[in-house]
Amino acid sequence: MINFIENFLGFSVWGIVKLFFMLAIVLYIIFAVVIVRQVKLMGQTISDKNNYLISLIAWLHLAIALFVFLLAWIIL
Amino acid sequence: MPDIYVAPSRKKKKTIKKEFSLKTRRNKEIKKIVDELGEKRTKKLFTSFIFLPKNITFETQESEEKIILLLRKHFITNVSWILITILMIFAPLILRWIPLLEFFPWRFKFMTIIMWYLMTTAFVFEKFLSWYFNVFIITDERIVDVDFVSLAYKEITETKIDKIQDITFTMGGAVRSLFNYGDVFVQTAGQIPRVEFEDVAKPDKVAKILNQLILQEEQEKIEKRVR
Repeated sequence: MINFIENFLGFSVWGIVKLFFMLAIVLYIIFAVVIVRQVKLMGQTISDKNNYLISLIAWLHLAIALFVFLLAWIIL
Repeated sequence: MPDIYVAPSRKKKKTIKKEFSLKTRRNKEIKKIVDELGEKRTKKLFTSFIFLPKNITFETQESEEKIILLLRKHFITNVSWILITILMIFAPLILRWIPLLEFFPWRFKFMTIIMWYLMTTAFVFEKFLSWYFNVFIITDERIVDVDFVSLAYKEITETKIDKIQDITFTMGGAVRSLFNYGDVFVQTAGQIPRVEFEDVAKPDKVAKILNQLILQEEQEKIEKRVR
């Protein structure tokens, strides 16, 4: 079915699916950046000795999102 | 002609001494409240009822202001999203019985699952941040309600202790009685007529602490040592 669509339309369906995946991950990265920024602001509002741990998790979360982007770029 | 020698003013020394005695007196009063309540300083990492928190400060805190109580919603209020998270973790197992992604090549299937878990992580982190940073603070001078409504919007409500007119607390329902949490409503004479502490642990103790602080504030007013 997919081969038929590809032959008929002349472009790769999975290429478009990949594009959507990449777009979704880029949006997720933006969300992760917002979270890092937000954790910083929240930490300024209420500063606690545990804030570094939450900040670390936020940065780790952003790093994972970037890693997933790279992974998607390579394997899709 | 400029002065060659200026004698140090005694007045300044006196005010420093007075401030120092006020500070020690205030500390003694706080200690008295602590003793009366029989509550110990909280040392746990992530908890919802922190009495005399150490190493915690807030944005608008004054140098001499002391945090008596820091409250979050009771941990049990997190159970609903924790259960949703558990469901989200095991949700991809459904694909074993219902082959929704069968027509997908393996790499797309793999990435879909990875993205699902990313979204689960985001959901957990967002909920945790919302619980951790939405706090109610009671200091020896005022009460502060810090609300992060969304990722981009924060609301801070403050009321001076001497503006408090009435304190009510409710603790209805089986779950609330079982886990000892409820709402504390503070009626004020200020611009914000009512400050609500929702789902806080030990609402009776919160009300008691507030009452003690009001008494202390009234005492200060009588003795004319209001800061």
